[in-house]
Amino acid sequence: MNKNNLTRRDFLIKSASLMTVVYIIPDLVSKTEAKPLDEKVSSKTKWAMNIDVDKCTKGCTACVEACIEENGLYGMDRPETDSQWIRKLTLKDIKTEKIVELPMLCQHCENPPCCDVCPTGASFRREDGIVMVNQHTCIGCRYCMMACPFKARSFVHENLTEQLTSAPRGKGCVESCNFCANRIDHGSDMTACEEACQKEGHKAITFGDLSNPKSRVNESLASKPSRRLRSDLKLKQRVTYSGI
Amino acid sequence: MGQNFYRYLFLFIILTPLNISSHNNEPHSIKGSSKADSMTQCVEPTEIMQKEHFVFLYHQRDNTVIDGIRTKQHSLANCIDCHVGYDEKGVAIPINSEGQFCQTCHVQTAVNIDCFSCHATVPRDKGMKRIKASDNNNHLSDKIKDITTYYHSNNHE
Amino acid sequence: MDKIIFQRLKIEAPLFWKLFLGLGFFILVGYLCAHYMETEGHYVTGMNNQIVWGMPHVFAVLLIVIASGVLNVASMSSVFNFKLFKPLAPLSALMAVAFLISGLVVLVLDLGRPDRLIVAMTTYNFKSIFAWNIFLYSGFAAILVVYLWFMLDRTVSNYSKPVGVFAFLWRIILTTGTGSIFGFLIARDAYGTAILAPLFIIMSLLYGTVIYFLLLKVINYFQDTLMTDEVKDNLRKITIFFLFANLYFLALYHITNLYISKHYDYEVFILTAGGIYTIIFWIGQVLIGLLLPLYLLLNKNSNNESNFMISSLLVVFGSFAAIYVIIISGQAFPLNIFNDYIIVESSFYDNVIHDYTPSLYEIGLGIGGVALSLIIILIAIRNLDFLPSVIQIRKPLVDEKSD
Ligand code: HEC
Ligand code: HEC
Ligand code: HEC
Repeated sequence: MNKNNLTRRDFLIKSASLMTVVYIIPDLVSKTEAKPLDEKVSSKTKWAMNIDVDKCTKGCTACVEACIEENGLYGMDRPETDSQWIRKLTLKDIKTEKIVELPMLCQHCENPPCCDVCPTGASFRREDGIVMVNQHTCIGCRYCMMACPFKARSFVHENLTEQLTSAPRGKGCVESCNFCANRIDHGSDMTACEEACQKEGHKAITFGDLSNPKSRVNESLASKPSRRLRSDLKLKQRVTYSGI
Repeated sequence: MGQNFYRYLFLFIILTPLNISSHNNEPHSIKGSSKADSMTQCVEPTEIMQKEHFVFLYHQRDNTVIDGIRTKQHSLANCIDCHVGYDEKGVAIPINSEGQFCQTCHVQTAVNIDCFSCHATVPRDKGMKRIKASDNNNHLSDKIKDITTYYHSNNHE
Repeated sequence: MDKIIFQRLKIEAPLFWKLFLGLGFFILVGYLCAHYMETEGHYVTGMNNQIVWGMPHVFAVLLIVIASGVLNVASMSSVFNFKLFKPLAPLSALMAVAFLISGLVVLVLDLGRPDRLIVAMTTYNFKSIFAWNIFLYSGFAAILVVYLWFMLDRTVSNYSKPVGVFAFLWRIILTTGTGSIFGFLIARDAYGTAILAPLFIIMSLLYGTVIYFLLLKVINYFQDTLMTDEVKDNLRKITIFFLFANLYFLALYHITNLYISKHYDYEVFILTAGGIYTIIFWIGQVLIGLLLPLYLLLNKNSNNESNFMISSLLVVFGSFAAIYVIIISGQAFPLNIFNDYIIVESSFYDNVIHDYTPSLYEIGLGIGGVALSLIIILIAIRNLDFLPSVIQIRKPLVDEKSD
């Protein structure tokens, strides 16, 4: 009897979850090795990204737009205070005067300065290497923004209303790129920016698991030398750049 | 005369908040429009939910953010999806707005939660589309049929 | 024979209430400003994603630095056995508490989520110097309260010396911690150097001393406390000493920065090309804050009291400029992300020296903080026996609580 009840409840729960519209990730890319939803992330997975600057196209902002859409980062048209998780930079080589463009985002350091300085530990590095802000314990002191060498973080300066279900965010906390953690946890192995870059046909951004030899990021790392920015700080970023 | 005038003025002023707060113009949620309304069970037994729903939420919150566990059972997104009500036009009504699910009890017990300054109060997906009750309810009625048949077959065993 | 007793501030009630309401008004304004910033969000301030710490932090850091500094007088009496300052020590500890509390209040009210203060008090990341500072600050407040108690309560006053020594050590660590908030920021060219910690200590010593002098002067205006010429002369002498020390450490900081290639660009910026920041540095911090006071204090009629007053006011102005330069211009200078490229275009102001216009709300909050520290001092000295004064004792035994 008891057992029967239990299974019935289980069934109800399962059907209830089935019934709910899959609003979080409508277009899951089903992957063979995806982590089950109820399993903790582990350091067996090492998410990383490589950006091939030679392939990044002038004037293209597909990755930025994809990020905005994925995370509901609509702005208030106040560029000084609006959040930017990923942005395009135009650089000039000091010696050759060559102009290049590249996307700049949280570099997901293995020794992240933001996490070292955070007084409450809200800035943290997830087991799989994603550096992010636990917005439930962030007090909004902005010390992490002072500490970040890449200006990767933004502070939410005003009340927000139309947040996405999949990307909660709100006033008074610091936020930044989280390698689309929600998407990744639901089985995708592609961030929104990489997807957009692929769709544009540029394939400058490659994301993936470093411990999977066949991952796209490993392939691109193998095909071309890459480097970390500000290597003098020894932060061991998981985001690397090729071609600069 | 003058005294009466002041008396009425006084009454008027006192009652103004009532006039304003009677929300005639606000969308009414249709009773029974949420998915939960056509179901019998929450994600845990109801008595437990009434008393301890926030324990599950707090637990899930850390599990999700720190460990990347994305199970649905205690997910806040899921609570909202199931409990959110819809108005006549089939548009979801913010779940923390007056009279809605996550608000009524809390007003009565003077609990103040800030979750909805960040968390979406209605199911809202990437394309910024709002989910329509009509889509949902069609979907829902099919499923309810499934459930009832399951129930019956199970009971007959 | 003269005997020192401690008294309350004996000003008339109307005057007290006038002062109280005056300060209360600024506190209220400060609170409203903070409330507005919190409900609207920080976009109403001059702060943004480039200048993330603004005027509230300038005020807060300044108040905390002063808090540690005003304890000088107490430390000199308890640690260095400087008898002259002994009667003035309790007042010094009181001021330290007051400035510390208000500095922290300003800091907390500027958080993005002040409502989560409880999180800050209960979850610590011990890698963070900021978390350590929370300990250092609350510990300092606790020690000061015990110290005050030991100094004022005759029955336990024998122990006041060890507590005083402890408070002294603690404040040195505390200011080191405050300096390290910036010293550990390796990412930014302006910070990330260990010299910031001693620089902060020496700044705190200087600012604390002049603030103590100024406040004592104000109190003295209403009621004769033991502000003898000897006291003034000693305060003046240590001020001169701290001014020199400050100049020395400032020079050391900037000169070493010039030799660290990573910091070179920033040094050139702040010393020559930083526009408003360079002006604030040279005119505000160096000229008004250090050189002019030194000149005034060392010149012929340096014993002149108004000279000391003016120099003290100049130092206070300079202290503000100094903290402003450290906090704001350090952020205004763009991050150096690429060493062999220059950034020519960015939607996030990566390539510009950012300017900062503080909003009235931030300034209001800061001034509210200053008013808060003053009101704490006012209330305390009016209700508790803090002010020393000399009475001539005719009969050797006299009831001390005769007032
Ligand atoms: C699949 C749909 C579904 C989901 C998901 C769901 N609930 Fe429920 N919930 C229900 C149903 C149906 C009831 C009514 C049960 C009853 O009447 O006994 C209910 C009842 C409750 C009650 C008691 C209400 C009352 O008036 O007594 C609370 C509280 C509650 N849910 C909270 C939550 C929370 C919090 C979550 C998310 C963790 C959640 N629910 C997720 C369907 C759901
Ligand atoms: C400052 C913004 C903010 C506030 C306030 C906030 N959250 Fe969250 N919450 C987030 C973010 C960001 C995530 C992470 C989402 C992700 O990674 O997918 C999250 C995730 C969660 C999750 C796991 C995801 C899910 O939908 O189940 C739960 C549960 C949760 N929060 C509960 C709460 C509760 C309960 C409150 C109120 C007491 C609250 N949150 C307040 C920002 C916030
Ligand atoms: C049956 C009435 C009821 C409903 C419906 C309800 N709550 Fe609650 N909630 C309460 C009560 C009562 C408390 C206070 C419990 C306590 O403190 O012991 C509470 C507390 C909470 C807390 C913790 C607040 C704190 O101060 O720690 C959270 C978070 C919360 N509720 C979230 C929700 C969400 C989200 C929903 C909608 C899905 C919801 N509640 C629906 C009655 C309800």
